[in-house]
Amino acid sequence: MFNADKFIEEETARLEREVKGKAIIGASGGVDSTVCAAIVGKALGERLLAVYVDTGFMRKGETANVDKMLRRLGVNHIVVDASDEYFTALKGVIEPETKRKIIGEKFIRVFEREAKKFGAEYLVQGTIAPDWIESGGGIRDTIKSHHNVGGLPKDLNLILVEPLRDLYKDEVRKVARALKIEVAEKQPFPGPALAIRIMGEPTRESVEIVREACAIAEEEIEKAAAAGKMKLPWQYFAVLLPVRSVGVQGDIRAYGYTIAVRAVDSVDAMTANYSKIPHDVLEQISIRITNKMKDKVNRVVYDVTNKPPSTIEWE
Amino acid sequence: MADQVDLYIELVLDGTSGRPLYDWLSNRQSLHLAEDLYLPAVPLIMRILVVDNGGQWTHREWRVLRDLGVESEIIANTTPLENIKADGLVLSGGSPRVGLDQEKMGKCGDYIDKAGVPILGICAGHQFMATHLGGKAGPSKIPEFGKMMVTIDSEDDLFKGLPETLVAWESHNDEVLEMPPDFVSLAHSDNCKIQAMKHTSKPLYGLQFHPEVEHTDNGYEMFQAFIDICEAYKKA
Repeated sequence: MFNADKFIEEETARLEREVKGKAIIGASGGVDSTVCAAIVGKALGERLLAVYVDTGFMRKGETANVDKMLRRLGVNHIVVDASDEYFTALKGVIEPETKRKIIGEKFIRVFEREAKKFGAEYLVQGTIAPDWIESGGGIRDTIKSHHNVGGLPKDLNLILVEPLRDLYKDEVRKVARALKIEVAEKQPFPGPALAIRIMGEPTRESVEIVREACAIAEEEIEKAAAAGKMKLPWQYFAVLLPVRSVGVQGDIRAYGYTIAVRAVDSVDAMTANYSKIPHDVLEQISIRITNKMKDKVNRVVYDVTNKPPSTIEWE
Repeated sequence: MADQVDLYIELVLDGTSGRPLYDWLSNRQSLHLAEDLYLPAVPLIMRILVVDNGGQWTHREWRVLRDLGVESEIIANTTPLENIKADGLVLSGGSPRVGLDQEKMGKCGDYIDKAGVPILGICAGHQFMATHLGGKAGPSKIPEFGKMMVTIDSEDDLFKGLPETLVAWESHNDEVLEMPPDFVSLAHSDNCKIQAMKHTSKPLYGLQFHPEVEHTDNGYEMFQAFIDICEAYKKA
């Protein structure tokens, strides 16, 4: 079985041996990159700088929370607001693979800028096994280009370091627990963030809808799990669909968008089954979303598909 | 007298309260620690390689083998046979469609013919094994994706002690339509007659479903059974 302590010891030693200069790490505040920052931080100390990029697609309160969390972790870090750049780059883009590649490339450009300022020649990423498996290459089909793999530009001028490449999420969590990392149990969140939870063009307006919907879905599901009504799913969120349908609000015809709620159970993200959420929890999510955003959303549906044949995220 | 172990545990104290950070005595994990002290006899380390045919779950096969204490590596399916030193091989699944792009299966045919060790073909690996040895594989009438029920028709070595029906996860457009000579079918589902097959005298096995994913019931047991088959074959 996977031995987290041994992994930490071996990786730290390997990083000390192999990474000689300064390095920056892309830190989203999720489990993978935080574990990575902790391990690389052990080996490099002050020679490591964690860079958190606010793409404009972050969840409610996320940037402030991650900033505080990274401070508590004790790793050098900066927060870069690149949201204008991202919205401009994604103007009119609806195709999921194009979105992912643009976002991946933008991340790298920001990292390159920050690396130059810091004098780093290495780029550390919290890439884990499903990221490169699903990104494809060679004889393996591309399921989706993960931003940290399929989005890498060919002319990258930093040396990539990816200590978690062979691990799956359950193993990363074991390492996180061994390191007593506070986000060890945090649900996965994709690098392209809310941009791939909008089935359509990611604009400041559409991201606001899905941000609110995600916050409500998370809140209600976490509340129900804490009350013992259900098991906390492995991942749970909302997606904004471009489909409009007819509704009635205050005796007036409405014609609004649809939100899909998604929650799955998994161990390693390579297979997943949809979570059997109690109907009253789903109903509460639906009521809150359609009331809070009555001008935009008048219908909520629940996704009951496993992976395969679907994937966990919609794009 | 029963075997006894003395367990020395150092309490880690919280800097401010002086209380133990971790309650070892009531923690289930600490009991596992104690159990782990009874070490089994040093086992024979088996080396089973995973031949990568480009599957989404190739790396999972490697992980399961590693979790079960086997020395394993993922190798390209173009690796020359003479560079392979192994006690068993797993031919992974992959995106190549049998019948359409056989050449993408690399040297899998060589391995089946000449490796001289037990081989487990999974999904595309299983379909390739069938066509390579004179059977037939092609598009499924009803392709299967995700959760399916599989019925074990014959336990054989691979399914020893497993339930007669189990949940297995699938992901295939093609399937084995006719088995090669000297093969028998070991399992089926509603939509697919040959979910598992084996050669009657050689250690060649094929599975249409995916024992390596977390969602398949008893998948680790099937891999353990394959490891046991490799071990028995090595000793014989």
